[in-house]
Amino acid sequence: MNRDELKVQFYDEVAKCNHCGFCLAHCPVYTVAGREWATPRGKNALVKAIIEGKIDWTPEIEETLFRCTGCRLCTQTCFPAVETNQGVLAGRECLVDRKQYPKVIDRVVEALESHYNILNEPNVNRTLWMDKLEGIPDHRFQKEKAKVIYFVGCVAAFYPMAHKIPQTFIQILNKADVDFTILGGEEWCCGFPLIQAGMKDKMQKLVEHNQEKVKDIGAETVVFACPSCFHTWKEKYQTDAELLHSTQFIERLIGEGKIAFQNGADRTVTYHDPCDLGRNSKVFDAPRNILKKIPGLNLIELEGNRQLSVCCGGGGDLEMIDPALSAAIAQRKIEEIQRTGTEEVVTSCQQCIRTISGYARKHKIKLKVKDITEVVLEAMG
Amino acid sequence: MNREQMVEELSKIVGKENILSSETDLLLYGYDASLFKGKPDCIAFPGSTQEVSEIVRFCHREKIPVIARGSGTNLSGGTIPTKGGIILHFSRMNKVLEIDIENQRAVVETGLFTLALKNQLARHGYVYQPDPASEKVSTFGGNFAENSGGPHCLKYGVTTNHILGAEVVLSDGEVIQVGGKVLDAPGYDLTGILVGSEGTLGIATHLTLRIMPKSEAVKTMLAIYNSLEDAGRTVSAIIADGIVPATLEILDKLTIKAVEESVHAGFPLDAEAVLLIELDGLKDGMERLAERIMEICRKNNAREVKSAKTEAERTQLWAGRKGAFGAISRLRPNYLVCDGTVPRTKLPEVLAQVMEVSKKYGLTIANVFHAGDGNLHPLILFDERDEEELRKVHLAGSEIMKLCADAGGTISGEHGIGTEKMKEMFFVFSLQDIAAMRKVKKAFDPEDIYNPGKILPEVQT
Repeated sequence: MNRDELKVQFYDEVAKCNHCGFCLAHCPVYTVAGREWATPRGKNALVKAIIEGKIDWTPEIEETLFRCTGCRLCTQTCFPAVETNQGVLAGRECLVDRKQYPKVIDRVVEALESHYNILNEPNVNRTLWMDKLEGIPDHRFQKEKAKVIYFVGCVAAFYPMAHKIPQTFIQILNKADVDFTILGGEEWCCGFPLIQAGMKDKMQKLVEHNQEKVKDIGAETVVFACPSCFHTWKEKYQTDAELLHSTQFIERLIGEGKIAFQNGADRTVTYHDPCDLGRNSKVFDAPRNILKKIPGLNLIELEGNRQLSVCCGGGGDLEMIDPALSAAIAQRKIEEIQRTGTEEVVTSCQQCIRTISGYARKHKIKLKVKDITEVVLEAMG
Repeated sequence: MNREQMVEELSKIVGKENILSSETDLLLYGYDASLFKGKPDCIAFPGSTQEVSEIVRFCHREKIPVIARGSGTNLSGGTIPTKGGIILHFSRMNKVLEIDIENQRAVVETGLFTLALKNQLARHGYVYQPDPASEKVSTFGGNFAENSGGPHCLKYGVTTNHILGAEVVLSDGEVIQVGGKVLDAPGYDLTGILVGSEGTLGIATHLTLRIMPKSEAVKTMLAIYNSLEDAGRTVSAIIADGIVPATLEILDKLTIKAVEESVHAGFPLDAEAVLLIELDGLKDGMERLAERIMEICRKNNAREVKSAKTEAERTQLWAGRKGAFGAISRLRPNYLVCDGTVPRTKLPEVLAQVMEVSKKYGLTIANVFHAGDGNLHPLILFDERDEEELRKVHLAGSEIMKLCADAGGTISGEHGIGTEKMKEMFFVFSLQDIAAMRKVKKAFDPEDIYNPGKILPEVQT
């Protein structure tokens, strides 16, 4: 994208920013950085100044535009609801065309081009998480035809810290007698990291491949435990299949009587709304309805919940681009969790789990961080 | 002095990591929430009063302007660097230093967000009363400099009534203490002079605040009118009856329409105005007071008066007021919030004149305002990129201030003068008045390094 295209597509949007500054109260990046470049207001001002030719593509603009978690809490709390993140992503596209972007992104692009996953590992390794499970059927949950596809996502497939999500979710699906399959080595990255990197032009091949797989398998439903894959499919994919997040699918299975909770859970937890599931895909009730169905489980809300949930620090490629900034945001998240008085946080996103528990582990903070699928499986018994 | 030297000198005081000076950063600290822009020479982030003092001492020696900045939410250009200089940004000085419940005082650093203190006080059942619309992000330093208000200031007074003392860095770098925890400090009331001085006389680093126990009970009502004049008259009638509610807020027809389209607060679309009334205080006697208020509303032709029976209903009524700004701002890309005050009794008359201004310039103007203290906030809608429209906006804004002044009111209620309304100062002050103020400025800041180009218009002698 160049400056003229930026103007055509986003000038009206950034012009709506009256620089009132109310976003400063919410932006997780500003909260830890304390500098105007970090604010949504500042990002709008820079995109506007670029469009108006008042400033050139300085190194600081690159740093600024690549430091946004894409959580969209600014838009949620903005009077005219300025879509700052849209301008930020478009700005990144311009920077990419100028070859002015964090070089770490090249590694991801290379990985996606050669192996279709963000880790640059052979794509067949997408199912290694299954090795620790007992009683795996011969088809290893990779069937030619199925009603439901479980799209695992790169992070859950490759990062050991997140393996527990697919491990528990397939057990839930299995116990509930769902006719499902995973795509295994034929699952390609959904393209989310490329959108965040300002390279959405490069994602078409991935999109087409995945769409084709849904057709081949004849699936009616695609289920995601990863909110970012889920959101990306909903925004960028064209498919007749129904797209559901794991929490929505589990809620449905409970309603159909296919999931029942044998075990009570005599404890209090809090719930963290992942940005791409809650605010960005508007799924707030499903996870809460599930937790409420578990006998004895008590839910306390965080100060920032539902539409006002605060990002964990792991959104928008930030962890890859600036790990220290991401960790500082995670620290705030943990402090917010601790203020509820609980020692267990439940969420529905592998990236939130990695960011929050990664920080807690490194700093020896006593905190249980669980994906909702784990809590569900435990209660199913 | 060139920028590199300046950065080098400042780095010795706060460390290189706490200085910004790139072209990008200069652009980012050149605006606030007003329509004005400027450009500083660099930005420093002090961590203590001592560091502020050392920076100011350096600036004083080198005659470099100093502009203190919090969240940059002010609406009159108070933090615009009109003549370059150094921005002192207080984001590192944001701690609550003391909460003294027994003496009902709190001591804070000036970079603290207003709401951050309120959240801490809530745990003790206490409040800091001023509630500027920007309180979730406005800093105490900004409240101090602008003498900020808010809906609840009708009953409790504005910021100056809640600041009892301050640690202040003078323009030569000296640090002084003004006022304190006690109610009445002897000597000149320097705290009184400094609050609302918009960073032109001194820079506060610590503030001693009055805090109060939270009210035992709250009662919220909504009166609906077929005429804006009747709503305005009700406000005067309530106060004339000897009742001072916590808030008296009016929303006009255009605002009601915008609100209903976005937040659905349940305001009738055919109403010309709604009046939101809130009482707070002791439980005993509150119902009786509410009855009296509703009676006054009916006498002044309110077609309906609702009273919130539950917390949920109260939230619903406030949703319309709180969402009003947002709803209106979606109608056009930009808005200018005018800020003028008139005697309550003149509200109906001045509002009608504001609508005349709207017609004259062909600009859309919505009204949602603190009716209780006669503080108007006509919101002029426009597109900043349309130069002709922007020119009209400035003219209309100035004309509205003239209307307020001519009605016996004044040109600010809570937003200050800044760069926006310097020439409008002549609407309410004589040359002698302004000369007297300039003497105060000279006494505090003879070199004119503190936030130059603000408040006082140049007077030809």
